[in-house]
Amino acid sequence: MTTNTVRKIIHIDMDAFYASVEQRDNPALRGKPVAVGGSRARGVVAAASYEARTFGVRSAMASVTAKKRCPHLIFVPPRFEVYKGVSAQIRRIFDEYTALVEPLSLDEAYLDVTDYRDGNVSATEIAKEIKAKIKADTGLTASAGVSYNKFLAKLASDYRKPDGLYVIKPGQGEAFVEPLSVGQFHGIGRVTAEKMNQLGIHTGADLRRQSEVFLRRHFGKSGGYYYQIARAVDDRPVNPERIRKSSGSENTFEHDLFTPAELEEGLRPLIDDVWDYCTNRRIAGRTVTVKVKFEDFQQITRSKSALSVILDKPFFERLAYGLLESLHPVPKGVRLLGVTLSNLEPLDELEGRQLTLDF
Amino acid sequence: MKFIVSSSVLLKNLSHINGVVATNPIVPILENFLFKIDSNDEGGVLTVTASDLQTTMTTQIPVEATESGAIAIPAKLLLDTLRSLPEQPITFNIDTETFGTQILTDNGRYKLAGENPIDFPKIPAVNKNLSVEISSDALASAINNTVFATSTDDLRPAMTGVYLQLSEDQATFVATDGHRLIRYRRTDIQTSANTSMIIPRKALQLLKSSLPDNLTVRAEFSQSNASFSFGPTQLICRLIDERFPDYENAIPTKNPNVLTIGRTDLLTTLKRIMIYANRTTHQIRLSLKGNALTLSAEDLDYANEANEKLLCDFEGEPMEIGFNAKLLAEMLSNMHAKMISIQMSAPNRAGIMVPADKDENEDILMLVMPVMLNTYA
Repeated sequence: MTTNTVRKIIHIDMDAFYASVEQRDNPALRGKPVAVGGSRARGVVAAASYEARTFGVRSAMASVTAKKRCPHLIFVPPRFEVYKGVSAQIRRIFDEYTALVEPLSLDEAYLDVTDYRDGNVSATEIAKEIKAKIKADTGLTASAGVSYNKFLAKLASDYRKPDGLYVIKPGQGEAFVEPLSVGQFHGIGRVTAEKMNQLGIHTGADLRRQSEVFLRRHFGKSGGYYYQIARAVDDRPVNPERIRKSSGSENTFEHDLFTPAELEEGLRPLIDDVWDYCTNRRIAGRTVTVKVKFEDFQQITRSKSALSVILDKPFFERLAYGLLESLHPVPKGVRLLGVTLSNLEPLDELEGRQLTLDF
Repeated sequence: MKFIVSSSVLLKNLSHINGVVATNPIVPILENFLFKIDSNDEGGVLTVTASDLQTTMTTQIPVEATESGAIAIPAKLLLDTLRSLPEQPITFNIDTETFGTQILTDNGRYKLAGENPIDFPKIPAVNKNLSVEISSDALASAINNTVFATSTDDLRPAMTGVYLQLSEDQATFVATDGHRLIRYRRTDIQTSANTSMIIPRKALQLLKSSLPDNLTVRAEFSQSNASFSFGPTQLICRLIDERFPDYENAIPTKNPNVLTIGRTDLLTTLKRIMIYANRTTHQIRLSLKGNALTLSAEDLDYANEANEKLLCDFEGEPMEIGFNAKLLAEMLSNMHAKMISIQMSAPNRAGIMVPADKDENEDILMLVMPVMLNTYA
C-alpha cells in the first residue's frame, strides 16, 4: 500500500446510547423523554433519549435544568455494567471486519477498512452490514459515517443521525466542510469556537480563508490542525493501540525561566487549562506528568500517579508543583513547561468507587 | 536429658507464642519450638522460642531438670498432644544424639522426632537505642485502635504496619490502608528522644493476643528491630524498612461541616441500612440538612433500598456524601466515646471521626475516604 492510497474510514456512533439501552430494556420508557443520570439536586444528565432532546435536554446538562425544559422527563439511574456489555458486543462485530478499531468511548469507534479482505466490497456496504448486525445483536441503532479520513467520517456519522449512514467521497470533503459552523468540528470545543467567532471565523469556509501562520499564532499547535481540517485533510491514522486519552497543556516562554517562583508562575496557567478541560468534559485522571524543555532543547519529563483518580484541584496542583520542585535547582534556563493528566476516566463511571487518600 | 513440667502450664505458655509458627515456613525447622533447658539449684528453667524469621517470641517456664541442653520439637504435634492430655506433670526424655523425644505421662508414652537445635535461627539481638515502659493496657488499646486499619497490600509495604512516633510528650500510632487512616495518640507514653518506626501488623497482632492485663511492658527499639518484654515473655520483630506516607498532610484541616451524634445510635442504624447496600461497593449515602441525618442505601441490581432519619447536631451547609458502610461501621465499633463528631468538607474529601468528648490520656482521629455518589462531580 502506498501512501497515496485513499483510505476507507468508518465512524460508528450508537444513537443516544445509554438512553436507548434503557428504552430497550424497559418498554415503559419507549417513546418517552428519558434522561439517564441522577434526578437529585446536583445530578447531571449523562444521556438523553431523542424524545428528550426535542425539548432541549442535552447530556452534561444539570438535571434541574433538564427538568425545567421537559417537566415530564423520566430519570433513570445509569447501569454502566450493562452499557459496557453492549459495548463489548458491538466491539466483537467491528473486529470481524478489521483489526484497526479505535474506540473513542463505550459507544463510538473508528474503523479503518482500507484493507478489507474482499476488495470488491465497498466501505459503504461494510457500514451497512455493521449497522444491521448491531441492530440484530443488540436491538439498538447506530449511525455510520464513511469517508477517507477520521475527521470527515465523524462529521458524516453525525449528519443523518439517528440510524443514519452517510458517505463523503474523495473530492467532496472540502465542499462538505465549507458551510458547517466551526463548533460542529470535532476538536473545536465551545471555548475555541467562541474565540474563532470573535475573530470573524464562523464557518468552514471562513476557517479556510485563514493562513496557517494566523491560526498558529492564535491557537498554537492546534492551529495547524484547524488549517488542515478546513481543507478536509486529516492524516491521523486509526490507532487501535490508543488507550485513554491524556489531557495536556504546554507553553513556550518568551524568556527562559530560572527561579522556582518563575517556574511555578509559568506552570500555573497550564494547570488551570488542563483542569478546566477535564472538568468541562467530566473526566478525571490519575497520572500527572510535568515536562520541561531547557534552553538547549534538552527535554525531561517527571510523572507521578495517585492511587485513585484525582478529583480535587488542590491535590492536582500539589502533585504538579511537587514534580516541578523535584527538578530544582534547574541547571539551565527553561524555555518550555508542560503538564499532562493521563489515565483518564469519565466521571460518570466512578459511581460507587472508593476514593483513596492522597499519598 | 530429661525434665518434668506441668502439662497445663506448658500448654498455656506455648499457646501464647504459637501464633508465630507459620504453617508452611520457608525454613522447615521453623515448624518447631526451640526448647532450651537450664538446670539450676531450684530445679530449672525451660526457654521456648518460636520464630518466623520476621517475628520471634520466647517464653520461660519453671521445670524440674537435672541437666542443661536443647532440642527442637515439632510445634503442632506437641500442642495437639498437650491439648488432649488431662492436667498432670509430664516427663520429657530426650536423646541428644538422635533428637528423639519421648513424653511420658500417666496415660502412656508418645515419641516425637525432634531436630537439631543448632539449626534453629539465632534470635536477633536488639541493640537498643531507646527503651520505654508502657502499661500493657495502654499498649493493648493502641494496638486495638489501629491494627485493623493496616493494609494487606504487599505492594505498599509501609502501610502493612503501624507507624509509631515517639516523642518527649506523647506517642502517636498511625495506621492506614489508603482508604482510611487512624491516628491514635497517648500522652502517658513518653520517651527521652524522638524516634519513629513501622511495626509489622503480624507482630502487633501476636502482641495483642498475648498481652496480659495490668502489667508493665518494656519496649526496646533499635534501628532494625523492636522488642517487647512482659513477665516471662518476649517478642522481637524486624521493623518495616520503608518510609511511611506523609499522613499529616493527608488529614484535611478545613472541615466546616460537622455532624455530632450518639455513636451507638448511628451504628445500629447503619447496621440496618447496610443490609440494603450494594454487596460490592457497600455504598451508603449520608444526607445532612438542618438537624437531621438521613442514611440511605440502594442496590439497583435487586431493587432493594432503605432509609432512616436520625436527629443529630449538624453545623454547616446541607450536603450528601457516600461512604463504604463496612468501613464506617468498623470505625464506629472501634470508637468508645458516647458521642462522636464527623467533620467533613465536600463529598469527594475525607470524613474525619473524632470523639465529641476527649479522653484524658488518649486522642483518637479516624479518617475515611468517601465513595463517589452519582450526583457528584
